[in-house]
Order: sequence, then C-alpha cells, then structure tokens
Amino acid sequence: MSVTLDEWFVVLLARTIRPSETVFHGFGSPCAQVAMHVARGTHAPDMVLVEGATYAVNPEPLFIPPTGNDASLTRGAAYTMRFEEFFDAAVRGDVDRMFLSGGQIDGFGNTNVTAIGPAGRPKVKLGGGGGGCNLAATIRHLTLWTTRHRSGRTLVETCDFITDMGHVTPLGTRAELGYTGGGPEWLITELGVFDFPAGRARLRQIFPDVSPAEVRLATGFDLEVAGDLRPVMPPSSAELAVLRAVDPLEVRRSEFSSSELSRAFTASAEPDCAC
Amino acid sequence: MSLQPRRDKRAALADAVALVADGAVVALGGGLSARLPMAMVRELIRQGRRGLHLVGSAHSIDVDLLVAAGAVRRCEESYVGFEQDLGLAPAYRRAAEEGSIEVAESCCATILAQLRAAEMGLPFLPVRGVRGSDIGRLHPEYAEITCPFTGETLVAVPALRPDVALLHAPAGDRYGNLHLDQPYVLDERFASAARTVIATVDELTSSDEVAAAGVTIPGHLVAAVTEVPYGAHPSSCYPRYAYDRGHLREYVTAAQAGPDGAAKYLAAYVHGTGSEAGYRAAVGADRLSALGAWRESTAAWKGLFA
Repeated sequence: MSVTLDEWFVVLLARTIRPSETVFHGFGSPCAQVAMHVARGTHAPDMVLVEGATYAVNPEPLFIPPTGNDASLTRGAAYTMRFEEFFDAAVRGDVDRMFLSGGQIDGFGNTNVTAIGPAGRPKVKLGGGGGGCNLAATIRHLTLWTTRHRSGRTLVETCDFITDMGHVTPLGTRAELGYTGGGPEWLITELGVFDFPAGRARLRQIFPDVSPAEVRLATGFDLEVAGDLRPVMPPSSAELAVLRAVDPLEVRRSEFSSSELSRAFTASAEPDCAC
Repeated sequence: MSLQPRRDKRAALADAVALVADGAVVALGGGLSARLPMAMVRELIRQGRRGLHLVGSAHSIDVDLLVAAGAVRRCEESYVGFEQDLGLAPAYRRAAEEGSIEVAESCCATILAQLRAAEMGLPFLPVRGVRGSDIGRLHPEYAEITCPFTGETLVAVPALRPDVALLHAPAGDRYGNLHLDQPYVLDERFASAARTVIATVDELTSSDEVAAAGVTIPGHLVAAVTEVPYGAHPSSCYPRYAYDRGHLREYVTAAQAGPDGAAKYLAAYVHGTGSEAGYRAAVGADRLSALGAWRESTAAWKGLFA
C-alpha cells in the first residue's frame, strides 16, 4: 500500500478527533477540513462536524473546494448554522475541538497568524486569526498543525505576536486568565507528532524517514522528546479510501512544499484500526 | 434614526454608492469568496473615495482592491487573504508592511459582540477571550471589567455602529426586502447595526417572489437597492453563480507584481470599464454564464475549481 506524506499527515490530524466530539476547522485549512471528514467516515461516525466558513453541520460534500465557504460544502448537511450560532456554541463551551495552525508556533502552543516582525510595521503581514483569539479560550481541545516545521521558522522560541493563546502566555496560564478550554492537546507537523504534558510541547511520534536530530534542528524551542518515542502509526486502508474519496481535487496538497509532497511511503500491512 | 419607511428604494449604483462619505466606517457583507459587495466596491473606487475605515470578518478581494486603489485608511477585519489556495492578500500586505494603512486586526467573535451591542443600543458587551492574545494590544479601546455577579475578569468591547453597510443579495424587491442564501456571514448583524444599509441584488423581483423565497433582511433596514447582475463577481452568489477562481488568480497574480500590476488590473476592470455593464463586458458574458454550471452536475461544479 502506497501513501504520500500529505495523506498520512491528514490521517494523523483525523486521529486526534475522539468519537462523538463536536469539531470545527477554520477557513484556509484544507488539511484539517479533509481530516474531519476522514474521522467522520471512519472512527468517529457520531461526531458533530461543523464545516469551516459555512458552519454546515454534518455535510457530505462530493469534493472539497479550494475555498472554505463554497456552497458545495453544505451538500447533505443536517443544518447550516448562522455565523452567530456557531460562535455562541463555541464561547459557551459546546465545541470540543478546533484545528488551528500558525506561521509561528511556540512551545506552549501559542500561535501567530497575524504578523512576522513588529505588529506596527510587520516584515510580513499574515492573513489574520479569524475567530481564534476568543475561540482558543473556550473550545475544549485544540489540535495544532503545521506543514512547515522543516523550514526552521515555524516552531519558534517566542512568537513575534500571539494571535491565539496556548497553555501559557506572558499574561499568565489559562487558569489565571479564566479560560474554560483546555488548550492545545496535539501538534502535528510534517516531521512528527507532539503532545503537551504539563503544557509544553513534547515530541511523541516521528515519521519513519525523519530522525530526532532533524526535528531538533528544525525546532526553535527546547525540544523535549518522549522516553518512548515511536514511529507514527501508518494509515489504514479505510482511512485512505475515505480521504481520497472526499478530496478528489487534492486541496490538502496546497499546504505543503513540493519537496514534502515528494515523500512517499510503502506502508507494511497494518491492522485496519485507527487506534 | 427611525426604521426606513416603505418606499421605492431603487437607485442607480452611482447614486447609492454616493451615500458613502470619505472617511466613513464601512461594513462589507459576505465573506472570503462568497457574496462580497464587489459592484459597490468597484463603484467606490471609480468615484475616488478616500480614507475609508473597513470592518468585517474574513475578507479577500473586496478589501484588497479598495486598499490597492488607495481608498482605505484603516482595516479592522479578522482576516484578509485568499486562503491556502491563492495565499496572502497582495495589496493589503504591502500597505500594512509599508505602514500606509492602519491594521487593527480583530476577531470574528469580538466583532460579533460589538455589532450585537450596537443592535441592542448598548455601549459595550463583554467577551471571555482576547486576554493573553496580542490582538488586544491593537485595540486600546478595549477595557477589562469585573463581572458584578461572578467576579470574573472579562474584556469589554465597544459597540460597533458602521456608518454604512454594503450588502449583496441574489434577489430583492424595490422596497429593499432581501433574500440571501447561506452563508449569511454577518450581513444580518450589519443590517441592524449600521446607520445606513445599501444593497445590490443580482435581480430585482416582485415582493411576492422575495416573500416566497424568504426575507432574510427586511426592507425597513435598507435605504437603497440597486439591481446589478453579477454584482458579487468574482465572488460567488449562490444559487446564481459560483466564485470565479480564475479571475481571482488573475487579480492576485497582477497585484503580487506590485503597485503597477494592481494599477493595470484596476485600469482594465474598474476605471476603464466606466460602469458595471462595462465590467461585465470586460470579464465576458460567456465566462460569467459558465459560473452557473455548478448546478448541472457534480463534475461540472468540480470542474469550475479544478
């Protein structure tokens, strides 16, 4: 069974979703968007999937378009929330998980999607945070991801600007800030998988073609490595089948550099299990 | 100000857009690639409007084009860009990096709270987030408050009352009753919160037809309505047309080349066209009608984005 890096990466995002969770992705997030459908089509059939910028609940799109608020994403939806219905649900604590990315991500899971360099006169003005600086406070769990870890510029010691709050900000911990959400639970990169024991990112799993030294070189914060560091679990054939069916336009690939897209693997026979 | 009385609110596009003053706080309807009020954006540029303070949630070519044309003083959106597909917004990014616009980036949930405060006639509403995020540093107008009931520290955000909201709908009647398809984004909130609402519709229909489809925004909130076919192009306005990804790419490619590239686009599609009829001719009737192919089959729909 052959699998490309982008496919495997999306499957790892999907596996961060627990059965029956209510899950949301922001716009401009094709990997997370496809991952939610992979989860719903495999291990989490009872999840409540809230689709990006359309706020469609449990839609069954025939393809994922390159924009987050196209009507194709509402096909077969049980319901389409108004903007305010979704944000109300999220801030009152009814949303279990959100996917968040960042041009910069620090070891506490703070993310920057606003600006590189000083905010008043940025070196690079990024697009902006959408709803993140409120949603990150109250949504129960966050799955962070980046496809640009290897650049060395993404996982940083300190974000130039904190758009969305991780476990600890300069103003304090989540408990001190009165936040009801639990903060980042996972960080998935094209090199490996991090968890956040005690609120700091820790390398837990690694892709088979990547060494811990490569991860260390690409990581700007002090790299903690789990004592039982393992290879990431290969995708199941069921996960790959759902993924390929829901993303025929391969919009997920737009998140990766061409060199990462050339990474291909032959997965050994694995149990058809996402556990 | 009272609600708008029932009257015939049809106006020429140039007259409707003339209601927007230089320096106005302008709310842009729709979001990302859907139902952006592009005909009004282009007309604002043709009329040489300056110093606008734009507010909205997640936006793209509407904000970027106004910035490219030099019409903007301050941007207060939660996002401006072309998503993963076409990337950063070229003119917005350039202006922010040069310091020629003020960027008070905001958050969808904060803007929602601010609009709701305006809708309710309140001076502010509190939000639970923002603290710990540097977004708060971009907004010295926010204030921390202590809840008198629970003792929690919350962030008070002031009411946001746009001078004018620009909304585009697929259909509406002469009295300004509008029917929209989802996503409504913030259009309903803008309609109640803004002092003046100006609408364009792809088609003016009878009141009975709008009522049968469902009134999303009532005429008593709308000051002027103008029929402009393809008035949201190159964004989508379902059920009439999908977004024009190729045209967005043409714009982004031109604007990425620098101010001269953006100026060439503006000359070809805005200043040089003189009117929306001229714009539609510049884009091409066949190209526009092809955007309706989404309804024919999944393959045709998918084909629009391939």
